[in-house]
Amino acid sequence: MAMHFIFSDKAVLLFDFWSVHSPAGMALSVLVVLLLAVLYEGIKVGKAKLLHRTLESLPVSSSQQVILDTDRDSASLDSPPVNRRPFRWFLCYFGQSLVHVAQVVIGYFVMLTVMSYNTWIFLGVVLGSAVGYYLTYPLLNTM
Amino acid sequence: MQRLFSLFSSFPGKMDHSHHMGMNSMDHNSTMPPSHHHPTTSASHSHGGGEHNMMRMTFNFDLKNVELLFSGLVINTPGEMAGAFVAVFLLAMFYEGLKIARESLLRKSQVSIRYNSMPVPGPNGTILMETHKTVGQQMLSFPHLLQTVLHIIQVVISYFLMLIFMTYNGYLCIAVAAGAGTGYFLFSWKKAVVVDITEHCH
Repeated sequence: MAMHFIFSDKAVLLFDFWSVHSPAGMALSVLVVLLLAVLYEGIKVGKAKLLHRTLESLPVSSSQQVILDTDRDSASLDSPPVNRRPFRWFLCYFGQSLVHVAQVVIGYFVMLTVMSYNTWIFLGVVLGSAVGYYLTYPLLNTM
Repeated sequence: MQRLFSLFSSFPGKMDHSHHMGMNSMDHNSTMPPSHHHPTTSASHSHGGGEHNMMRMTFNFDLKNVELLFSGLVINTPGEMAGAFVAVFLLAMFYEGLKIARESLLRKSQVSIRYNSMPVPGPNGTILMETHKTVGQQMLSFPHLLQTVLHIIQVVISYFLMLIFMTYNGYLCIAVAAGAGTGYFLFSWKKAVVVDITEHCH
């Protein structure tokens, strides 16, 4: 049993129907895994942004209003009507939880593809993580 | 921004650990020689355990002969699978809660701020007082020891969850994902309230 990285054109990834047996299939699989890793990095940043927006729209006491007033771009979220606010808050958190579930599942999927010990797939994951981080990390600072 | 980095620090750490784990892989080029069955005992984290050669490396919804982490835990009936589902669900929820609890504990223990004033020479030969602000914990303080213990527990539980997901059993994987989502939903709500009070603009 190979417990080390191998270069191979044949692999079975995650599901029964995802069996690769040709160089073209392997190239396509590497592309899919790359996009999966990019998506994972994007979801991480997306969740952070969602959290930030949720916290800005929370009903706050007057002492914290001073801090929030400096954030001019959140002016549209500042004062929703009182009866809509708890429901909107609940929706925000529910959406965030769904994003978190997606992050957990995709993270585990990427881990399981690396577990196939195929070097091409591993390089695809590494490259996808790099590209994803490169594309999405600057979006954090724009908040 | 520190709040965001603490969100990132938890899960990627788990991912980095998993890259170093040694696991059997289905090499379809060669047949499986029976001599590769290691004589090791079926310990919980046996990397080269003989049983893993028999396991499928694709998602399935088996209900028979599903091994779960430890040698005594084998699932054979739907009832046992339901019990395992609930246990894994609660474990994933506990993991999310532990992450949030560690963050809030860390923030609470960093309230202690020390100011040191020291004289430094100024530009014209005058003596200026420079004030240094230190935020943090000492190594041998109780909060730091508690953080370390909780960190160990978090690492162990994250590895357990990874190994459970590695059984490739559909029910157990759904339990992990649902437990993580529910735990995040329940505990992150609490975290938002804590963050508002102690956080300032970074």
